[in-house]
Amino acid sequence: MEPSLPLSGVRVVETASAVAAAYAGRLLAAMGAEVVLVEPPGLCPLRREAPMLDGPSGTSALFASLAAGKRSVVLDLGTADGRAAVDRLLATADILVDDTPLTERPAQGLDRERIAARHPRLVHLSILPFGAEGPKAGWKGTEINVLHAGGEGALLPNGLSATLFPDRPPLKIAGHFAERQGGVAGALAALAALWSGEGQFVDVSVQDANVAVGAFAVQRLGDGSLEHRSTRSFRYGGVIECADGHVELLTLEERQWTGLVTLLGSPDWATDPALGDAAQRSARGAEINARIRDWARHQPVEDLVRRAQALGVPMARYAEPDQVVSGGHERARGTFAELRLPGVPPLPLQTAPFRFGPDPLPLTAPPPEPGADQALLGGDAATVARRASA
Amino acid sequence: MKPLAGVRIADFTVHAAGPFCTHMLSQLGAECIKIESAQRPDIFRKPHTVYGRPGPATFDQVASNKLSVRINLKHPEGVALAKRLVAVSDVAAESFRAGVMERLGLGYEALRAVKPDIVMVSVSSCGQTGPDSHFAGYAPLFGAWGGLGYLTGYRDGPPVEMRHVMDHSVGLNAALATVAALHRRRRTGQGGHVDVAAREVASSLIGEALLATAAGVPIARMGNEDHWRAPHGLYRSRDGDRWISLSVGSDAEWHALTRVMARPDLAADPHFATQPARHAARDALDRLLADWCATQGAEAAVAALQAAGVPAHVSWNTRDIVTDPHLRQRGAIVEVTETGGATRAAVGAPMRFGASDNPSIERGTPELGEHEGYVFGELLGLGTAEQRRLADAAVIH
Repeated sequence: MEPSLPLSGVRVVETASAVAAAYAGRLLAAMGAEVVLVEPPGLCPLRREAPMLDGPSGTSALFASLAAGKRSVVLDLGTADGRAAVDRLLATADILVDDTPLTERPAQGLDRERIAARHPRLVHLSILPFGAEGPKAGWKGTEINVLHAGGEGALLPNGLSATLFPDRPPLKIAGHFAERQGGVAGALAALAALWSGEGQFVDVSVQDANVAVGAFAVQRLGDGSLEHRSTRSFRYGGVIECADGHVELLTLEERQWTGLVTLLGSPDWATDPALGDAAQRSARGAEINARIRDWARHQPVEDLVRRAQALGVPMARYAEPDQVVSGGHERARGTFAELRLPGVPPLPLQTAPFRFGPDPLPLTAPPPEPGADQALLGGDAATVARRASA
Repeated sequence: MKPLAGVRIADFTVHAAGPFCTHMLSQLGAECIKIESAQRPDIFRKPHTVYGRPGPATFDQVASNKLSVRINLKHPEGVALAKRLVAVSDVAAESFRAGVMERLGLGYEALRAVKPDIVMVSVSSCGQTGPDSHFAGYAPLFGAWGGLGYLTGYRDGPPVEMRHVMDHSVGLNAALATVAALHRRRRTGQGGHVDVAAREVASSLIGEALLATAAGVPIARMGNEDHWRAPHGLYRSRDGDRWISLSVGSDAEWHALTRVMARPDLAADPHFATQPARHAARDALDRLLADWCATQGAEAAVAALQAAGVPAHVSWNTRDIVTDPHLRQRGAIVEVTETGGATRAAVGAPMRFGASDNPSIERGTPELGEHEGYVFGELLGLGTAEQRRLADAAVIH
């Protein structure tokens, strides 16, 4: 335990089988909480979820990203012994993170009433795709469903992809964007409840979390505009192809446009006095973008971004995965720690997207082997059985 | 009582990401005092050319619930006044470019000098350190830097811009880090400087792809495909621009889907007998599902699929969301009052508490300086004559 970490001394029990709850546990672990993952005899299904690091039988990259720094016990919560063992863990825990479907909770001893009766000081965090209450509480939802139930899915793609492929289906964001929002919201909710000092049930829905981060579309609707992916592109700028990759260019303020004109080399078309007016630029966005695209096609990304930012023009490289982890800025900040797994060279893993001083949060341990921390249960399986039957 | 009742935030944040952080904390019960000035009002008080808004917003989500004061931070006495406010606060939040608070005389060390256990939260595009820390950025740039934009898109298409969900995701992470820092302060008595870099929020969302790529298993753009699930995608219903999201990850879900489709032949087809087989045959399954969904009403099909145990949902637009009984019941969507008295929908904080009072929006967008009597008078103990002097000197301005 690192006493200087924000959540040192906080104990968490996690019964997670999907990304949102597992990510909530991961964020708490990254900040110093002791997180014990309780796995069923068949093990946490995230251990088998692609992408895998080394072929289909190997380690899941997804699980590694979600379970680093956690401990593991294997328990069958369908048995009285298993439920007694998890009760012992919960007796000294501050937070339970659970995503068991509502209908399965009573048989696992994880229903709200039982937990509240036995562990009144516990923060019992439930994270489900559509929450624990309301008409859709029992609904199933994987990443693609909750992203599209939260509103952002229907708004994607925008920009260049929407122009190139106007008739294709709406798009999901890469990876587990929506489920990870649920995890961040869950961790925040658990820490807020813990701050209150009251043991209580906390109900987090992945859909709600995505509706919340989609607040701007709700704001726009109130202002009178129903957003749609085909019409919410920026008038100019956006995703721009260069000689060796893509950049994002976005000028929202006058001085940024002026900087862009300088970056372009002040060609005649850009210095046209009419384009000094923001409304004119917006109206002639397609024409401006055609010029920018012609010019950018011959520019190397790295040099272009450096020159743009020096002129105060907001521009960024669309970094590929290996460029992200090897970026000079990321290396200087130590954004990625080294994850050490048996038989694999060190791999880059970000501990958390925030830090509590100049240094990043430490990566304390790789993901646990199944049942690595069985000793936390206070004895071997036989002892557990005797206690349960006594 | 709300969970964060008693926590006070001096809020210097502007634009979207930082204000969303403090807005969430305010919904959870923190008292949030927004600091602006007549010279530098936040963006929602101005016309918005990009979105064609001719005047100030009549309701701004991320400004709601907040108290408003004017402090001219370009004036030495304004800096002193801001420090007095920080001295009676638990949290100081800001979202300027790295270095701006220090140049104003309000850097972490300066704030710590007036409030030794202050939790300072800095939200920026690239963080407080590193060679790019001075870079300007907006949501699409955060997504680009962090790799999320590169990985999002159709297989044969370009990267995709992230929009406001990216900003607000940064804010949600910042809110989490803020409460964690408060827990540390409660335990150790120590405050701290929380550094939230938006580009690192973007990269944190694709951790598995960064790991796999580094391990020699490159991950590319993959549209709506999943690594395991199939069928998996968005399929147009007979309702036109109403698409059904559908995801099958097990034999049980596959068999349930074929029952809803009334296609026992598919259930018996060896090409689709196992999940790996279905994944290998995903293009054929996409065509089958596209054909079937084109004959279905979107909401009815989704209800039937969910009843059978198949993960599905209509790809909802914002109007669907603000009118949904489930989201209304949960307080994920709430009704608020605009300046002028009209009502509209806004988002709630995404969490419900069994014992604490639930998050809520108590008031809409504050007028600039609306709460100076309370903040400068009651909290800081400035008499009316002193407040008048500071106003005349363009400090409260």
